[in-house]
Amino acid sequence: MNSYRVRKFKDRTFSILGLVCVIVAVLPLGSILLEVVVRGAPIISWNFLTQTPGAEGQTVGGIGPSIQGSLILIGLTSLIGIPIGIMSGVFLAEYGDNKYASLMRLFNDVLTEFPSIVAGVTVFLAFVLYFGHFSPLAGSLALSFILIPIVARTTEESIKLVPNSLREASAALGVRRWRTTVSIVIAAAKAGLITGSLLAVARIAGETAPLIMTVLGNSYFFQGFGQPIDALPLRIWRDALQPYPDIQAAGWGAAFVLILVVLTINIGVRLATGGRRGSRR
Amino acid sequence: MDKMPRLMDMGLEKLNSLLLDMATLSQQAVSASIEAYSRGGKGAEVKQMSTRLQSLHRQVSDLSMEMIARYQPVATDLRFLKACLEISYGFFRYGRYALDIAEVLDMFGDLSKCDRKFVVETAHKTQEMIRMSVEAFARRDVEMARKIPKMDDVVDESYRNNLKKMLEEKGNLKCSLSSTLILRYLERIADHATYIGESVEYISTGVEPPA
Amino acid sequence: MQSNHTEKMSSLGLSAWYGEKQALVNVSISMKANSVTAIIGPSGCGKSTYIRCLNRMHELVPKATVTGQVLLDKEDIYGPGVDPVMIRRRVGMVFQKPNPFPTMSIYDNVAAGLKLTGMRRGKSLDDIVKSSLEQAGLWDEVKYDLKKPGTSVSGGQQQRLCIARAIALQPEVILMDEPCSALDPVATAKIEGLMASLKEKYTVVVVTHNMQQASRVADFTAFLYLGKLIEYDETTKIFENPKEDLTERYITGKFG
Repeated sequence: MNSYRVRKFKDRTFSILGLVCVIVAVLPLGSILLEVVVRGAPIISWNFLTQTPGAEGQTVGGIGPSIQGSLILIGLTSLIGIPIGIMSGVFLAEYGDNKYASLMRLFNDVLTEFPSIVAGVTVFLAFVLYFGHFSPLAGSLALSFILIPIVARTTEESIKLVPNSLREASAALGVRRWRTTVSIVIAAAKAGLITGSLLAVARIAGETAPLIMTVLGNSYFFQGFGQPIDALPLRIWRDALQPYPDIQAAGWGAAFVLILVVLTINIGVRLATGGRRGSRR
Repeated sequence: MDKMPRLMDMGLEKLNSLLLDMATLSQQAVSASIEAYSRGGKGAEVKQMSTRLQSLHRQVSDLSMEMIARYQPVATDLRFLKACLEISYGFFRYGRYALDIAEVLDMFGDLSKCDRKFVVETAHKTQEMIRMSVEAFARRDVEMARKIPKMDDVVDESYRNNLKKMLEEKGNLKCSLSSTLILRYLERIADHATYIGESVEYISTGVEPPA
Repeated sequence: MQSNHTEKMSSLGLSAWYGEKQALVNVSISMKANSVTAIIGPSGCGKSTYIRCLNRMHELVPKATVTGQVLLDKEDIYGPGVDPVMIRRRVGMVFQKPNPFPTMSIYDNVAAGLKLTGMRRGKSLDDIVKSSLEQAGLWDEVKYDLKKPGTSVSGGQQQRLCIARAIALQPEVILMDEPCSALDPVATAKIEGLMASLKEKYTVVVVTHNMQQASRVADFTAFLYLGKLIEYDETTKIFENPKEDLTERYITGKFG
């Protein structure tokens, strides 16, 4: 009887302890979210989402160019980065049984942990200075540096999860190796590849540092691939530095929109994969 | 590799001991009937023995079938079961022919005036064959089993010679009929002893006798 | 029909290694056309390795090596210039666990071999799929569900689907690596019945740890132990009167 009480007490204690830890971990995230919603949501309107920013200190205007810029950057980055990332991941998983691949895997891991500003500086030195202007292309290139290693990593993990019995089944049918990889292995890992890519996109959507040195920022809608462009994170950063409360409020609004975008991608991934994201690890 | 007991082994042992029981009993039955013939008795106890042998034979065949159904025996096990059915039937027949002899005695009554010497001699050869078949089985002795057919030829010969003699001579009908019948039964017993010998050889070598 | 005892495939002095570890030692077996040959033996005796050498699947394992010959219609499949992929199209294989392609429908699973190898044999794909499923005894059970995923049917049906997938390529030999070990008795009985009908058109080689299965389905049986061929003979002889003491002890369960 007594030992039962002791055990019950211990059980309670650790349950409560666990709960406290969860609260401590979630509290900052919750408060940030709350702050952004409270401050950002009221300012959202059709005009705010579609207009260009107003003149400094006079009218607030909208964040249209930032949204457009972010979408262009995300699109371009995906176009450049996802194919390269997936192909590297497939190579590492399927043909990665040699020292070149392990070297590549090492570089990939280092690149994943790199400060994102370094990607910006690199592109600034190699691309922006060389061509002489900021551009969406330069921004996408910098973001690709961040996206590719993430996509490669998740792709490799997804591909490795494809049971070997499928490769054997295909090989036993007299199917060539590359054909097996394309038609059997990648097809079976498709859900994982999509998930990994979307999560990587969500990650780069919020990147600010590499953009400062590559796209600069702008107050106008897209003006060509040779011109600076705006993006939501840049907008937030710039607005936050302004002394005017109205403009700061616009920054909160932009932050709210950005969080919505990232959240939508994350929730979309959850729904698309039936909540299996966690079990992939 | 130490030997682990198999489920089948218990059944195989049971079969073996049933067959050894049958061997003893059938030997006793044949001896009793021949004793009765040579000493002038009736061999009343043979009836009971024969019935018992029949029931044992049924037990053996039931158990064999059960083991085939349950354990799907192969190799030596399979051959042993197949041979068991043959051998058990042989022992059962020994008892049956012993009973047939006893029935002849019962029907013909007093045979003390007949010359029984030749029949008794043949009977002893047959008994020797029974003993050899039993021993060959008990010890899985292929060498001994292979000696049985030669003696079978001798018994066959005795039966045929006696039959010829009886046809030529005009003797006492009761004596000639009884000796002919009993020799006939002995000849059949000898045949079964030969089959048992062949089955023993089959267990060990897997070689079946030519059809 | 070919006569009953012409040789379709054989191994001559076949040895196989996984790195340093030798899995097969000098195994020579002759497999007759239109018959079922069973390979039996205790776990780790090399029976799966052996069968995987017959369609050059063994070498897909890193560091796996082979010496000796495997003749298919008298030609060495390990000879110079022989493309293993082409051999695998002639020698089909069915695995221990049913492994239909999960992303494909029943129909596409059967058609997969033809589509992915770019082989078409005159007849339309629909006809080939139908006849393959019929030969695998599965057509009546799935004919209205051809668009359903290959993994949506029962384990026994999946295994027959895998057999149909192998048949669709019109192989000459079908290798089966413990095809029933993941199946219940009813599904097992169906696959066994299938083996008997498949041998009319193909040469079947089956690895099994179930001796009763070998005795039921096989015309010839080979017993492997520690990578060596101990005995090879007609199945009836192996199971009624094996020549080797080791075989006797293994099949009667008097081992270790």
